[in-house]
Amino acid sequence: MDGEKGQSDLFDSILLADERFRGEGYQEGFERGAHQGLQNGRRHGASHGARLYSEISFYYGFAITWKCLLQRNVDAKSRKRVKVLEFLLRLIQNFPLDDLQSSRLQEDTENLRTKFRQVCSMLSVPADFKDYMKTAEDISF
Amino acid sequence: MSWVKAMSSSGEDVFDENADELGLLSKEWASNMKKRIRDGYVDGIDAGEEASLQLGFNLGFKEGAKQTMAVSRLRGIVSAISCWCQTEHPENPIPASVIDLLQQVTQHEEQIAERIRNTLTNPPPSVSDISENMEDLEVEQTDPGCCGGKCKESGCCKGAAKMDLDHPRQPSQLCSGSTGCSTSSDEGALNALLQRCMDLVSEMGLPMELLGHIQELKDM
Repeated sequence: MDGEKGQSDLFDSILLADERFRGEGYQEGFERGAHQGLQNGRRHGASHGARLYSEISFYYGFAITWKCLLQRNVDAKSRKRVKVLEFLLRLIQNFPLDDLQSSRLQEDTENLRTKFRQVCSMLSVPADFKDYMKTAEDISF
Repeated sequence: MSWVKAMSSSGEDVFDENADELGLLSKEWASNMKKRIRDGYVDGIDAGEEASLQLGFNLGFKEGAKQTMAVSRLRGIVSAISCWCQTEHPENPIPASVIDLLQQVTQHEEQIAERIRNTLTNPPPSVSDISENMEDLEVEQTDPGCCGGKCKESGCCKGAAKMDLDHPRQPSQLCSGSTGCSTSSDEGALNALLQRCMDLVSEMGLPMELLGHIQELKDM
């Protein structure tokens, strides 16, 4: 009986050693992977964040300036334009930039682009400032 | 008495064979355990990367956003002024000062975007990459000595990997080049462009309200 027990202990310890060694390796690998993932994610995030904010900030600067320039005019056409610009500015301010995993993000970006094009058309200026419209990329992994 | 000699020598052979077998078993054990560590390590890297990728992405997203926000908004402002000149005074060419400022702002924005792109395609070598390379080189050299039968200690075969883990870097320390962070010269260049834009607004007699919108970009 003792012998059998001893043998089963031996097998247990062999199996445990197997798991223990694997677990130790896993732990070290995990820490390293987490570090790498953070770095890689961060670089990709920076690239996406820079692009998206660049586009939206451009729209904002463009719209707020036109609003300031047109506000002095009292004619109906200018007032209508100011209203449309204010709508675009509100859209930008409510843009869900804090929630990157939001399913709305892509949709809202497209919506913003469409509205910007409409604003340009209303102001009779070409909307080809940059190739923003060409890129429609995912905002998360 | 030659048979005695034969017996004793064959006895020695048998004993040696046992010793070899023990040695082999020991080697096999060590190599198996080393393999377990490696298997675990590889799985751990995948799991760790998966777990932190989105976190890093979100962090980087904010950093990237911060770098382009002000300059891109300024480009929007100057573009609008340029368009306004064109529609208000179609008979006159757009003032050279406006065209020049727009070019400068666009160039500055491009430089920032280019730097971020470069960081993405050619990530700066990190301490962990270097130590990983060293580890790769060392694995072949230390293998025979390290796991040649004497070593069953768990710490033995992982020295090189541990080396990096002993010095984990904090996110705040990663900024030097990891996401193409903005520099003080960027800030200086942006402030100069903002000032030029404010001067332009005053010179052209544009609404003073615009100055506030330009001014606020300094604190972004």
